Amino acid sequence: MRHLKAFGRILLGLLRELSDESAYQRHLRSHGRTHSPGEWRHFCEHRLRLKYSRPKCC
Amino acid sequence: MKRILGHAAWAAVAVAAAFFLGGIAVDRGEPVNSMWLVLAAVCTYLVGFRFYAKFIAAKVMILDNDRATPAERLRNGIDFEPTNKWIVFGHHFAAIAGPGPLVGPTLAAQFGYLPGTLWIILGAVIGGAVQDFVILFCSMRRDGKSLGAMAREEIGRVGGVTALLTVLLIMIILLAVIALVVVNALKGSPWGTFTIAATMPIAIFMGLYLRYWRPGKVLECSVLGFLLVVLAIFGGQWVAESPSWAPVFTLSGMALAIAVIIYGFFASALPVWLLLAPRDYLSTFVKLGVVFMLAIGILLVRPQLELPAFTRFVDGDGPIFAGKIFPFCFITIACGAISGFHSLISSGTTPKIIAKEWHAWPVGYGAMLLESFVGIMAMIAACVLQPGVFFAVNSPAGIVGSTPEAAVATITSWGFPVTVAEMEQLAKDVGESTLFARTGGAPSLALGMAHIFAKSGGGQAILGFWYHFAIMFEALFILTIIDAGTRVGRFMLQDLLGSVCKPLGRTSWLPGVIGASAAIVLAWGYFLVQGVLDPLGGINSLWPLFGIANQLLAAVALCVATTILVKMHRAKYMWITSIPLAWLVTVTFTAASQKIFSPVPRIGFLAQARALEAALASGQIPAAKIAETQHRIFNERLDAVMCGIFLVLVATILIDSIRVWWGILRGTREARVNESAFVLSRLKAEEI
Repeated sequence: MRHLKAFGRILLGLLRELSDESAYQRHLRSHGRTHSPGEWRHFCEHRLRLKYSRPKCC
Repeated sequence: MKRILGHAAWAAVAVAAAFFLGGIAVDRGEPVNSMWLVLAAVCTYLVGFRFYAKFIAAKVMILDNDRATPAERLRNGIDFEPTNKWIVFGHHFAAIAGPGPLVGPTLAAQFGYLPGTLWIILGAVIGGAVQDFVILFCSMRRDGKSLGAMAREEIGRVGGVTALLTVLLIMIILLAVIALVVVNALKGSPWGTFTIAATMPIAIFMGLYLRYWRPGKVLECSVLGFLLVVLAIFGGQWVAESPSWAPVFTLSGMALAIAVIIYGFFASALPVWLLLAPRDYLSTFVKLGVVFMLAIGILLVRPQLELPAFTRFVDGDGPIFAGKIFPFCFITIACGAISGFHSLISSGTTPKIIAKEWHAWPVGYGAMLLESFVGIMAMIAACVLQPGVFFAVNSPAGIVGSTPEAAVATITSWGFPVTVAEMEQLAKDVGESTLFARTGGAPSLALGMAHIFAKSGGGQAILGFWYHFAIMFEALFILTIIDAGTRVGRFMLQDLLGSVCKPLGRTSWLPGVIGASAAIVLAWGYFLVQGVLDPLGGINSLWPLFGIANQLLAAVALCVATTILVKMHRAKYMWITSIPLAWLVTVTFTAASQKIFSPVPRIGFLAQARALEAALASGQIPAAKIAETQHRIFNERLDAVMCGIFLVLVATILIDSIRVWWGILRGTREARVNESAFVLSRLKAEEI
């Protein structure tokens, strides 16, 4: 059961990482801000600009 | 005692690997179960991971968990962040998994299951995974620098410029060839076309949802997007059965090519949050989910392989692409065994989020083994089809004949019996009007996957749903690569043009954005249209070009890796990267020179141009086809020039690298390593 829980935690962590939700939480923490639509848009601009300046794999 | 048991267990795994590999290699004349391939692959991966990769980690690169990684040293909460190793593993795998390992093995199955399977397994263990691992290590020790930056620093300016040029050229060919795969899969298929068309408004809806309605709720939005896509698959079935709507979504290859080109332009020029990003989230989750489902399906069904170990096409006369096993099997499989593109990912996001140096072992080496396993699954999915069906789907009309009767007669004469009735029934089962000449690999892969999924649950009744689900899965992430690739190409071009005319370099200046997007789209669009017009299906000329370019990029990465090993005074271990490099150079040079100079028109671009010229001169070409033939002659020569450029690029970087190695080994050149300074890691286990 403990292993299953750990696996679930990692899976959820992976999904949050792939969806940039973890990166957003880190962004809020490191800048000492709280979530707001404007903050999300501000984060997205920086994050997505970096993300899509590199080619995707074939 | 524990140690002895451990040794005994690993010895058993090694014996099992040899047994299963030997089993598929020597077995002849009797049906082989797919589990032989699965077990041969898994056991070989385990041995490679535990012994070879660990040897590289411990003895060659000397990974050190006391040394702080860039994620710890440069931690900024955004790009640089120490992350749990299994999350990094999943992230890295999601980034490297593309359509290459799915399509390449499917096409290479024309030689039979054996050559491709052996190369996917051994190529990954000895070459592909080593490349990914060593480049990840090098980038990790250089603050997460890119491959181009490392090439410039370690080899010199020539190496750096060559790496940049290579990336731009490979992207143009890559985008063209994967767009062709989508076009061929959707040609004349209202069900598939509607489903894929529907993903665009769904992605825009997701973009608006994330931006204005529920900002930050990406997972929730992706679940909603997935449900809508599944709904679109059912909608596609309704469209295909509707007498008024079916013709609207029944498009020719050329119409689809134009649609994809227009889509690529808008996706590149529109704000990234509106279309590209939500589509990317969706396609990443669907991709991981389907790969997992396919693995479960294969384990549940354990299908029998219907294709033989070797087909008669080992002689080089295959209908899907021409050329012998060496070198064409290797450049066709490409990403399933070694992929140059992975070096861009290994020197991209991944080195910036690795918490401890030893995590590079499962992430760099392990993720490539998993990618190789995806290639094995694609090979299995292709080989579960009856050989006659496999060749009927994948052979272009220019080879087997344009009528169903002619096609089945040709394919049956090759020793792979198939009937028109059989093909018609299969097409009806999956909701298509025909499955003849659906080249590109995607339809046959979707058929194989649909068979496996249907046998896992639901039966033949839902074969059509699974077929279109698989087509949706392939097209969804191929189109994501097209829009992201066009955007990156645009940035590269604007960067280049910016040095000539400053405003052109500004990514926010609208005329510059539109001009650069159009230039990139036209570049890959030209090759796409060339593929659509090619009577041999386009894959015959474009896929080898893509394979050569991809393997060339891998050669560039291995040159950088070998140079760094030599500079680190690990010259005695330089064989680890230089053996795969030597192999790649041999394969790339042989393939490229055959594609340019072979006297066989189906292989050599120049021979094909000469054959077409001769046909024109002797008046064999009808007047209506003269202009088209002249275009084809130009295109064949253009492909030859592209191949020649690739050869020059690989030769340039290789000579430049050898010059550096020679200088260091002779002591006439300083072996200066450009690693960042050692900083003691203070990261605690509970933090990651």
